[in-house]
Amino acid sequence: MVEIEQLKQELKRINAEAARIRELAVEKRAEFGRQINAKRQEVLKNIALAEKALLDVEVEPIDVTAWSGINEKMPEFYPTEMGSSHPLMAEMERVCDIYQRMGFDVVEARQLDDEFHMFDALNFPKEHPARDGYDTFRTEEGLIPPAHTSTMQHRVLKQYQKQLDETGRLAVVVPGRVYRNEDVDATHEHTFYQCEGVYVSKDCNMGQMLGILREFFEKYYEQKLNIRTQPGYFPFTEPSLEFLIEKPKSLGGKKGDYLEMLGCGMIHPNVLKMAGIDPNEYHGFAWGGGIDRLVMLRFGLSDVRYFESGNLNFLREF
Amino acid sequence: MKIVLNWLKKYVAVPESVSDEELIRLIGARLVEVEGVIDETHKYDNIYIVRVEKAEKIPETHLTLCQINSGGDDLMQVVCGAPNVREGMLAVWIAPGAIVPASVHEDAPFVIGKRKMQGYESNGMLAGADELDFGDDHSGIVEIDPEAAQPGDLLAEVFDLKDLVLEIENKSLTHRPDCFGMIGFAREVAGILGERMVDDEMMGPVAHSLSGAASPRPVVTSEARSSSPCQAPEAIRKNNEFHPSIIISDSGICSRYSVVVLEKHGEMEKKYLTWMDTVLSKSGMKPISPVVDATNYLMLLTGQPLHAFDYDKFIEVGKTERPEIVVRLARKGEKLVLLDDKEIELNENDIVICSGDVPVALAGAMGGKTTGIDENTRNIILESATFSLFNLRKTQMAHGIFTEAITRFTKGQPPYQTMMVAKDCAEMLSGGFKVIGGADEYPNPEQPIVVKVTTDEINQLLGTDYDDTKIGQTLENVGFQVKEKGGQLEVHVPEWRTDIHIKEDIIEEVGRLLGYDNIEPTLPLHGTAEKNRLLELKKQIRRTLARYGANEVLTYSFVSGRLLEKAGQDVKKSYKIINSISPDLQYVRQSIVPSLLDKAYVNQKMPVDKFAMFEINEVYSKTWGMNDENVPVAKVSLGFVLAERKNNETAFYKAKKYAAKLLQELNIPVEFVPKQSKLEAGEPFEPVRTADIMVGGQCIGVVGEFKNSVRNEFKLAPYLAGFEIVDIDTLLTNMSDVRKIKFGSYKTEDLTVTTEKSYAETLKEVQAKYPEAEIMPLSIYQALGQKTKNLSFRIKTW
Repeated sequence: MVEIEQLKQELKRINAEAARIRELAVEKRAEFGRQINAKRQEVLKNIALAEKALLDVEVEPIDVTAWSGINEKMPEFYPTEMGSSHPLMAEMERVCDIYQRMGFDVVEARQLDDEFHMFDALNFPKEHPARDGYDTFRTEEGLIPPAHTSTMQHRVLKQYQKQLDETGRLAVVVPGRVYRNEDVDATHEHTFYQCEGVYVSKDCNMGQMLGILREFFEKYYEQKLNIRTQPGYFPFTEPSLEFLIEKPKSLGGKKGDYLEMLGCGMIHPNVLKMAGIDPNEYHGFAWGGGIDRLVMLRFGLSDVRYFESGNLNFLREF
Repeated sequence: MKIVLNWLKKYVAVPESVSDEELIRLIGARLVEVEGVIDETHKYDNIYIVRVEKAEKIPETHLTLCQINSGGDDLMQVVCGAPNVREGMLAVWIAPGAIVPASVHEDAPFVIGKRKMQGYESNGMLAGADELDFGDDHSGIVEIDPEAAQPGDLLAEVFDLKDLVLEIENKSLTHRPDCFGMIGFAREVAGILGERMVDDEMMGPVAHSLSGAASPRPVVTSEARSSSPCQAPEAIRKNNEFHPSIIISDSGICSRYSVVVLEKHGEMEKKYLTWMDTVLSKSGMKPISPVVDATNYLMLLTGQPLHAFDYDKFIEVGKTERPEIVVRLARKGEKLVLLDDKEIELNENDIVICSGDVPVALAGAMGGKTTGIDENTRNIILESATFSLFNLRKTQMAHGIFTEAITRFTKGQPPYQTMMVAKDCAEMLSGGFKVIGGADEYPNPEQPIVVKVTTDEINQLLGTDYDDTKIGQTLENVGFQVKEKGGQLEVHVPEWRTDIHIKEDIIEEVGRLLGYDNIEPTLPLHGTAEKNRLLELKKQIRRTLARYGANEVLTYSFVSGRLLEKAGQDVKKSYKIINSISPDLQYVRQSIVPSLLDKAYVNQKMPVDKFAMFEINEVYSKTWGMNDENVPVAKVSLGFVLAERKNNETAFYKAKKYAAKLLQELNIPVEFVPKQSKLEAGEPFEPVRTADIMVGGQCIGVVGEFKNSVRNEFKLAPYLAGFEIVDIDTLLTNMSDVRKIKFGSYKTEDLTVTTEKSYAETLKEVQAKYPEAEIMPLSIYQALGQKTKNLSFRIKTW
């Protein structure tokens, strides 16, 4: 209290001093005005801080070891029917469960990474225009919130090398949150989820990749599906493909209505090499695709923005 | 990029059995993403070539009364306002009932009718180029070469206009500069169909299409191109005063720079509508002038952009006797006025073409104003060059230039064809210009690439069973030369394929051209994998909190500096995003709860009367430093906030009940003690109404109410509390699978203690008396004005 009074007195003094500006020569007024104003702002800021601090001074302490307030009822939980899991997270669990039952370990992706894992380790040449395609965010330190879960490929390849040596196989999926610097609308979010898959063995081939992906989508949508591919381009796979499924009939799909679900391909030998795996001995394939789209299709949602809205009227539907 | 299907078909013999629909599907499945198809099949319906048999001026107007022959027995009467209409010419007639082609894609297409003009009946109209959607020319009506058509012919048939135009997603061709020209694209399409591109020998380049003939032949094809020597034309090699000198300051910014100097020897009159006009228009460009059209056409055809400088202006700007071309990086502070009249300030990454030392063009992006060609241009320097895609990519971003040329250059056009394309252009312009000089600077010629791969390797990686012949044929169809010996393939890569270096690249070609859809999906059989413990923990947290009525939310990882301040956190501890979408998303968050408080406000305002929200996500603080990989230490944090609009009780106890229940379900022993911790996540919490959550002697988070200042800032009602468990990994180490289940008969008794001590202290005393019992809190009563409280317990003994 005393402090605020003092500050207010000082503000009065400054205001009085400011009035003297008229007595000064014209050319000196600007500089004088600047100085006075700086002082005034400083004091005003301190008053605001002191007032804010005051709010937090006279708070009544409570006994945090107790389980109810004095003369209050014991608190109760909210009813179960009010509760909900987030649809993206619940579906991500399903996705991971399906892959896990197919023999894939699950490793989660980081949310703040570096240029090396985002690009270098994935065979993107330095300064290559392909790096632009990802619309990455950057921190002052040059760190990158990942624009795809492929940032984890290099880590996974290294982490599971022992298993690869022992069993001749490496199979991992990586769910994660990814970020792109793009404008948000009904079908675009700057923050969304992806799931990456990495598979390495001595004799793996593209037919196996297509088989695994078809199996996953059929399990996820719980029905037989038609699949299709088209050529794609990613520096970290060679060959690279886009993987499409025919929109499931039960979800309103018509014949010939194909949806791009993910990008995939055989892991580029440079990516294996950088992770210490001999590309002459082993081959691999990898894929990555959006989870949001998968879930929107499953629930017939048309606006991706609901997911991160925190709107309880939406979330309590799940 | 647009691909005109009829043009493509001049280079590819599409079998009858393959419909357009199937062809487009195959292109999509084996070459590139087709974003859309513009259907022009009916765009030129009911539009005919006619002869103007009679043309009489209508007195005191600019109009002409015409009698036209449209192939039938009777002449039709049309009133025409164009100055160039005259007896005997072939013109284009839009018959009554037909739609003006330029308006076809508008909301209300313009249908031509029969009407009276100045008292004269006019049937349909004679069309100008703009009305036909062939550019902007509105100076007169279009004239047709009498060699090319007869009155009564359909315009669409003469010029091959019943067409489909494919819209190609450029991003999916980032690595294929060759496919940004029709020849390269067609070569691929032929390969997909299992054939080679139509090989029509060198056809005296496109002179045909310029003269106006309506059924042009394809030009230069792949085979002819690759075998023709990369040399300058005869005239160039002679010592000649018009030879420019070329200095490339660094071959890293420009791998090859070729020029041809042309001298005007006559007007290139453009009298007739040409097939090339229609192709340029369908490809999304416009016919402008013979020189510009020739350069544009060749760019669409070959992928190699060309630029024309006015020779005389060029030497004047450089104050030199003959052209001294210098390719160098711009210097800081240099400026350049571009052809579109915009002045740009160059940066040290921009490549510039200079006359002497004066920049006259932004390389690969746009020419400069001072050396642009115009109707008075006598002599031309025709540039055909390749530049560093890395520099051009930055130039594109820095100056916001997105021309067709720079789109091609930023894919990395190969240097092998610069001089050939310049020669083609000279030949196309030979009606008005002759070659008087030239130069070609190519410091480090590209070396041929040979890749070795075996049939087994190809089949093994694809999961296929293709034989040597099929593989060899497939590759040779698109210009590779293959030497095969006992399953060993030696593949010679054509110079336009800048993307092929290793055997996997060859395997991709085989898989793609023969169709990935033809690969049989198989399933390697596995057992089930181990579960991820952290994911299982998250699942358990999610299930437990949802079961007790809480709602899981997801909020952004990035927050505003203001949000951090509102929550009492230090902005300096957060990683800052330098290219954030908005100030709202500028910092990486240090904890979850502030984001939840933000969403609590939104929901409370809606209004949702009471709710509990939680989120499990990663958080970062600069103070946590780096891990072994030299990336920031990440913590997976669980934030929880509950809020009610109308409740006078102490919110703390409900939040604590949730935290305690969660840990109990995870089978983790926990203790709540008055707050002493200094976690980032603890900043918004009011210290005297907050407990540290202690597990295994370690503080793993806080539960409590929020500071009044924080609650005020977030504009939330008083009943508000929450918790944050900062690093849920620590829960994993403290979780126990051993669960003591007590059942059987027990007795209960209630006990009330009157005391001034805290609950915890009192509980200890009660526990000392009942060491084996389960002790539960019942109530706390304090009479008005009393210092002592009555603490009641229920004691359960087995």
